[in-house]
Amino acid sequence: MTRRPGKAISIRGIAMTYASASGSAVEALAPIDLEIGAGEFLVVVGPSGCGKSTLANILAGFGKPTAGVALIEGTPITGPAIDRGMVFQSYALFPWLSVTGNVEFGLERKGLSKSARREVALGYLQSVGLADFADRQVDELSGGMKQRVAIARAFAPEPSVIFMDEPFGALDALTRRALQKQLLQIWEEHRKTVLFITHSVPEAIFLADRIIVMTARPGSIKTEIRVALSHPRDTTSAAFRDYERSIYAQLDEELVKSFAVEAADLRQGAAAD
Amino acid sequence: MLWRAAPLVVAFAVIVAVWQTVIWVFAPHVSLLPPPLLPAQEFWKLLASGELFVHTGMSLMRVVSAWLLAGCVAIPLGLAMGWSTRFERIADPFVELFRPISPLAWIPLAILWFGINEAGKIFVVFIATFFPTLISTVAGVKRIDPVLVHAGQVLGCIDQQSLFRKVILPAALPSIIVGLRISFGTGWAAIIAAELVAARSGLGYLIANGMEVLRADKVLVGMVMIGLLGVAFDALFRQLSRRYSWGRT
Ligand SMILES: Nc1ncnc2c1ncn2[C@@H]1O[C@H](COP(=O)(O)OP(=O)(O)OP(=O)(O)O)[C@@H](O)[C@H]1O
Ligand SMILES: [Mg+2]
Repeated sequence: MTRRPGKAISIRGIAMTYASASGSAVEALAPIDLEIGAGEFLVVVGPSGCGKSTLANILAGFGKPTAGVALIEGTPITGPAIDRGMVFQSYALFPWLSVTGNVEFGLERKGLSKSARREVALGYLQSVGLADFADRQVDELSGGMKQRVAIARAFAPEPSVIFMDEPFGALDALTRRALQKQLLQIWEEHRKTVLFITHSVPEAIFLADRIIVMTARPGSIKTEIRVALSHPRDTTSAAFRDYERSIYAQLDEELVKSFAVEAADLRQGAAAD
Repeated sequence: MLWRAAPLVVAFAVIVAVWQTVIWVFAPHVSLLPPPLLPAQEFWKLLASGELFVHTGMSLMRVVSAWLLAGCVAIPLGLAMGWSTRFERIADPFVELFRPISPLAWIPLAILWFGINEAGKIFVVFIATFFPTLISTVAGVKRIDPVLVHAGQVLGCIDQQSLFRKVILPAALPSIIVGLRISFGTGWAAIIAAELVAARSGLGYLIANGMEVLRADKVLVGMVMIGLLGVAFDALFRQLSRRYSWGRT
């Protein structure tokens, strides 16, 4: 697959307003403009409920925005496609398939022969250190192992973009660190464009080329920060700490607003009842 | 495998012991409750003459054919109802209206419509097996984690057809198998009832006939056979559903 240099994703005025069950509308995303470069590792942080998942789901093709367009390598998004992979917080492995069965799933859809997809799958499992577990059933694996399988599964069909919505959110701190390193390895090897959502500021700084800080709902881009540190990044360095301080400062402002929005929601909900 | 049957064997022995004690203590008339030895002898006699095989075979044939037939209708219908909310909204009221009617309540109509030939009994068992299969299938599809569907889509199942084949069906399969297991049980109960009132063969008929000629031993042979086969089929299905038990953790 050839990839044109330049923009992998162009987001132009994408906005989302949900019609809630009670009839009132929830403006989840304010119009957003954003360009993501090919091979870039972009991390999005923001208060809970600010529309991060909404944005990722629109880009993955699961939902249509109420305004705006998003282009993937120049082509408007009309629905999900194998060219845009995703890693989910809850792993979303297929429990009826083995570990390789999961990794081979997308390869089969792409029409690879049985032997070819086994070989490719084993290669990716090797990258995440799970080649020895290829023929296990997925429910035998720990959470960290499951997410490594999910990462291998997302990379294997060679999509141009991979979305990761809080992929390490359910893992313990140590497993999380290990998976961050493994993700960087596999990303450096294959150079896919990654859009990664997290609540963890250190995780964002450890991984990102660029960090987008979002505002409280309706989510829009508050600031973006380029992380000019070379890999592997030392999380205890002064430079790392400086990034942390400035991002927390930005987030704290939004958290206050986010709490106010949530409180208003509750009051309104109580009034409606 | 065998040690699992041990509690059943013990329970069986206890029942026989209590039975024999009742005989010693109360000495009921033999046409009401014979000693255990009598039905055991009758069992051998019916087995040797092949009569037991014929009756068991007839009952089984009716259950299996009606159960398969019901599965062929209920599973596709259930998949469609679970998948399409619009279709479910249309179909669900019909299901809700028919479901509370016991399959046994259909027996009189079945006799009126079909007489006592095979179609009537297959009809009753069809009703008895249809709803459990349908309801389990619908629930199986509705319980699928939407994230699994999304995962299937970004891995190349773009059209509904491939999504159905590659994700929906395997994800719902454990629940479908549970439905088939439950419905086999309800079907087995229903066929006996149908044969009690409208048959010239089958285990239900064996029991009804035993009653008419005041042969409690014959009745008991039929009952024991029904129990044994019920246990055997449930064990078989349990084994099957263990193999297909993903997604219920
Ligand atoms: N399908 C939906 N219908 C109605 N409202 C929705 C729907 N999905 C999300 N929302 C609302 O839109 C807002 C943004 O949700 P979203 O899940 O995108 O936030 P998020 O930034 O991913 O939050 P978190 O950090 O908690 O994952 C929230 O207020 C949420 O309640
Ligand atoms: Mg989210």
